[in-house]
Amino acid sequence: MDEPVRVMVVDDHPMWRDAVERDLAASGFTVVAVAASGREALARFTATRPQVVVLDLQIPAPGGVEVTAEVIRQDPSARVLILSASGEQGDVLAAVKAGATGYLVKSASREELLSAVRRVAAGDTVFTPGLAGLVLGEFRRISGGGPEDRSDGDGIHRPELTERETEVLRMVAKGMSYKQIAERLVLSHRTVQNHVQNTLRKLQMHNRVELTRYAIEQGLDDDE
Amino acid sequence: MLRVIVLLNTVVLDLYRASSYAHPAAGVACVVVMVLWTGFAIWAYAAPARRTAWLLVADLGIAVALVLVSPAIKGDGIETTIPGFWVMGALLAWALHWRWVGGLVAAACLSAADLAVRTHLTQANYGNVFLLLVGGPVVGFMCASLQQMADERDVAERSAAAAVERARLARAVHDGVLQVLALVQRRGAELGGEPAELGRLAGEQEAALRTLIRRQDAVTGPAADGTAATDLVAALTRLEVTRPVSVAVPAEPVPLPAAVAAELVAVVEACLDNVARHVGPQAPAWVLLEALPGHLDLSVRDEGPGIPEGRLAEAEREGRLGVVESIRGRIADLGGTATLTTGSFGTEWELRVPRTVTAP
Repeated sequence: MDEPVRVMVVDDHPMWRDAVERDLAASGFTVVAVAASGREALARFTATRPQVVVLDLQIPAPGGVEVTAEVIRQDPSARVLILSASGEQGDVLAAVKAGATGYLVKSASREELLSAVRRVAAGDTVFTPGLAGLVLGEFRRISGGGPEDRSDGDGIHRPELTERETEVLRMVAKGMSYKQIAERLVLSHRTVQNHVQNTLRKLQMHNRVELTRYAIEQGLDDDE
Repeated sequence: MLRVIVLLNTVVLDLYRASSYAHPAAGVACVVVMVLWTGFAIWAYAAPARRTAWLLVADLGIAVALVLVSPAIKGDGIETTIPGFWVMGALLAWALHWRWVGGLVAAACLSAADLAVRTHLTQANYGNVFLLLVGGPVVGFMCASLQQMADERDVAERSAAAAVERARLARAVHDGVLQVLALVQRRGAELGGEPAELGRLAGEQEAALRTLIRRQDAVTGPAADGTAATDLVAALTRLEVTRPVSVAVPAEPVPLPAAVAAELVAVVEACLDNVARHVGPQAPAWVLLEALPGHLDLSVRDEGPGIPEGRLAEAEREGRLGVVESIRGRIADLGGTATLTTGSFGTEWELRVPRTVTAP
């Protein structure tokens, strides 16, 4: 019914790059570019405009987090799926805050990978329970905060999850599928999906506000 | 620069008083000597290689000599010496070079020369000598402290840079190994048979290495009660190595007293053992840790058939509620609560403990 999804694979490990490229091509995706470093990735992204970027976080500079931010800045409709062997949870969280909408560990099976690319391309979010736990923790950190930033007097709106969003995110973190969550809460699959997307959107927006505030504080917004 | 200023001061004063000199020509010669030596000294001290002991000795020697010849040129009963404050240059050079000892020696030499040419000791003379003797060593001492601080800072900066570089290299190596292990695991599982077994082993190693990296990255401070802390996040994540469990945690470490963290992990393991016994040894389970400001929420969930209705009540009547009661009791000892939910969707333990908890 539709055009094949255009994908770019970014990984500095040739074995992996080839394996992922082969798997994607074999199941009908069009791999329009591969890249081994952040620099290559950004150059080829501009040239080929893929819909989905399958991105390893540990690549030669600029790193995966910067690449994610730049890709989303250039084309907000592009989707970034993080495929990482890295044990660094902080980087995964940073990439999601920068705009990635999916995360998969590299040991995931071929079917899991293909399904994740499909879902991310369709605008869905692909979360592991681990990533949901990190996002949940991040909201707790932001809203619970220390006593010093409780008095957020400078008018920055602090993102808060609704009760329902928290509930859904907790269930994702506990390993439940969207289908199971929908059954348990008597919601439609789509509604569950929307709740998860909302949590991400709030986190990403907060990230942008924080970056802007930082830029203003540092005087980086001067156009001179 | 300092030398030039004190030189100008001395030259002007000497010219001003030139009329009173017994031998004005010799006085002018002294001033010329000071001007030439100042120029030479500025050049000579500029390069470390030229700052030899000879230079310093000559510097001080000329200053002392000029002080000593003062009465001969100016006539007896002098108020000030010809070089005056100009001797400061030599004194500071000694203090800088040989620290407080140098400062003291130079100050002593200059003081002795100064006192030798006086016919009578005034309060002002005494004050100058005293300042020389105190100032020389103090400047030398401060100089030594500054040098030592600079050295220590250099050492600290070097070792910090080395540590960062080591961490970067380790990360690069680890990441490469993780990638290969994950690839072997994935391909092995696809091939089946013996390769699948290899893949499973690679997967175990991958999880172990990932946990190790996490543990290295998690820097834990002391716990709330000041005893040695364990990071509950790292401790729970380690469970993924040996069990078919997915552990979801916050990004930041959750430091707890070691005994409390160990007890919590042990309770979670008891829950997981129960899953393995009743649902199956390879049955998946999920652990979620949430760190809230006042308490910790831990959830252990499985997707087994659940505990059949009436079974718990029946077991209680028979006086055997082993595992369930033990889990409740251990969490109660930590000042928390344990809630069990079970149904066709599976079984879930929800454990809540206060964060300020101390070891039972």
